[in-house]
Amino acid sequence: MTRVILLLTALAAFLLPLAWTVLAALGMLNGPPTLSHFSDLGVAEPAFWQELATSTASAACAAALTVSVSFLAAYGLARSHLRAGRLLRQGFLVLASLPVMAYVIPLSDVMRRAHLVDTFAGVVLAEAAVTAPLAVFVLHGALAQLSPEWEEAAVLDGAGLLRVLGRVVFPLVAPSVAATAIVLFVIDWNMLLVPLVLTSGEVRTVPVGMMDFFTFERELDWPTAAAALIVSLAPLALLVAVFHRLLERFRLDTQIG
Amino acid sequence: MRLTRRDRIVLFAPLAVLVGGWLVLPAVLGLLASFTTYSPFTTVVRFSGLANYAAVVQDPVFGAAVRNIAVFTIVAVPLELAVGFGIAHLLRTPIKGRALWRVLLLVPWLVSPIAGGVMWHFLFGGAAGILDFSPVGDVRFALLAAIAVEVWRVAPFVTFLLLPGLISIPKERWEEATLAGASWIQQVLHVAIPELRTLLLTVAMLLVGLSFGTFDTILILTGGGPGTATLTPALYSYGRAFQTNDWPVGAASGWLIAGGVIAVGLVYLRLARERPAR
Repeated sequence: MTRVILLLTALAAFLLPLAWTVLAALGMLNGPPTLSHFSDLGVAEPAFWQELATSTASAACAAALTVSVSFLAAYGLARSHLRAGRLLRQGFLVLASLPVMAYVIPLSDVMRRAHLVDTFAGVVLAEAAVTAPLAVFVLHGALAQLSPEWEEAAVLDGAGLLRVLGRVVFPLVAPSVAATAIVLFVIDWNMLLVPLVLTSGEVRTVPVGMMDFFTFERELDWPTAAAALIVSLAPLALLVAVFHRLLERFRLDTQIG
Repeated sequence: MRLTRRDRIVLFAPLAVLVGGWLVLPAVLGLLASFTTYSPFTTVVRFSGLANYAAVVQDPVFGAAVRNIAVFTIVAVPLELAVGFGIAHLLRTPIKGRALWRVLLLVPWLVSPIAGGVMWHFLFGGAAGILDFSPVGDVRFALLAAIAVEVWRVAPFVTFLLLPGLISIPKERWEEATLAGASWIQQVLHVAIPELRTLLLTVAMLLVGLSFGTFDTILILTGGGPGTATLTPALYSYGRAFQTNDWPVGAASGWLIAGGVIAVGLVYLRLARERPAR
């Protein structure tokens, strides 16, 4: 019983601010419910729906790229039996902890010279690189637990590397891979600094749009901002709700010898 | 399977290109550039030794930012771990609707830091606010308010990361402790923490890195103010490089953030290597 009360307290602390935001977005803080604040979004920030599409596409592409690349490398690490394997894996975690701010200034310069500034590909590649170390860490945990016997059987049948990966390894760890992809999607979707520094108007994601708005046009009223917040949160909430079973497979703690 | 040389190239080359090109290369170039007068807007580049770092370290504004982030990290990270662990512990044993609890209790983490900053900015102050004074506009409370917002957003993620580990601790370990008459706090200290040692270290490392880079939330919540009350090194670095066009100072202060994370990372590597005696 105490447990339920404590959980309800936590739930209230976590969700009441958001409930208040929903009420504000629906105009229920001072009047009957209305959807007008959602339609106001397109007036206050004409590119909002475009930004939403850009955010979705870039986060999906970045998450897919990161997971593919990290899956290959994590498998390679798991089957290389390196002496320093454990240290290398933890090194990836330190790299994953490195704040983007630590290298985003020179990154913006490199991207400008490579003519990747203000391009969709530039944002996707940079976001993918930022999250790759975390993905390698997590997927390595999942792959290292896999018994190599399944692969040996396929190799005896004459299968090459890619066939073994596609037919044997991937199906066995698919839930972990999918869970990792969802978490990365959330991180990429919410990322501000990378798209902020690497774009100047052509390619805009929702966080960048929100930031510009609040920095330059302070008079945005709260109900419209609340509507923007709800619209940008809803897709993630839906994603997590639908795949909550799968998300239980996202683990940082698999013990590696 | 046994990996051939060709296999290794196929497996590692994509990651090497991605992380090498978009993370390691810029970081290293940035480090080299921080010892010069390099800036994308100048044509003459000279070696300047530690001058950029000296300029950063002697800047009282950066000093304030470092103090803020130290307080921020020392208060926020343990709180995030404690709250996140506490909730995970409550969900450890089966409870009606556990899946729903888990999803609902993760929601604050899904709110982008920037949107969270907007929401709390309005919540804390202004006509729509719930308090009759604005903590984000008060030098004494602004940093605490920023910490509270960060804990609100990150603690749910900690629960998400810790819960699978807590659930997979063998039942017998808890039963032994209960039979020995251990209170719940003793169970946490003698069962959960030793069993989850590596996981807790890993999560703590991620949280410290996240905290050192604090940028998005504070940008809208307070913009670093009032004065420098909530300025962070990341905000300082961004401001110098992209707003006042003092590129070398921005790049050097960015590398000081990296240095801080790497220093903590070395401690993490050392602690995670030691195997606890059971």
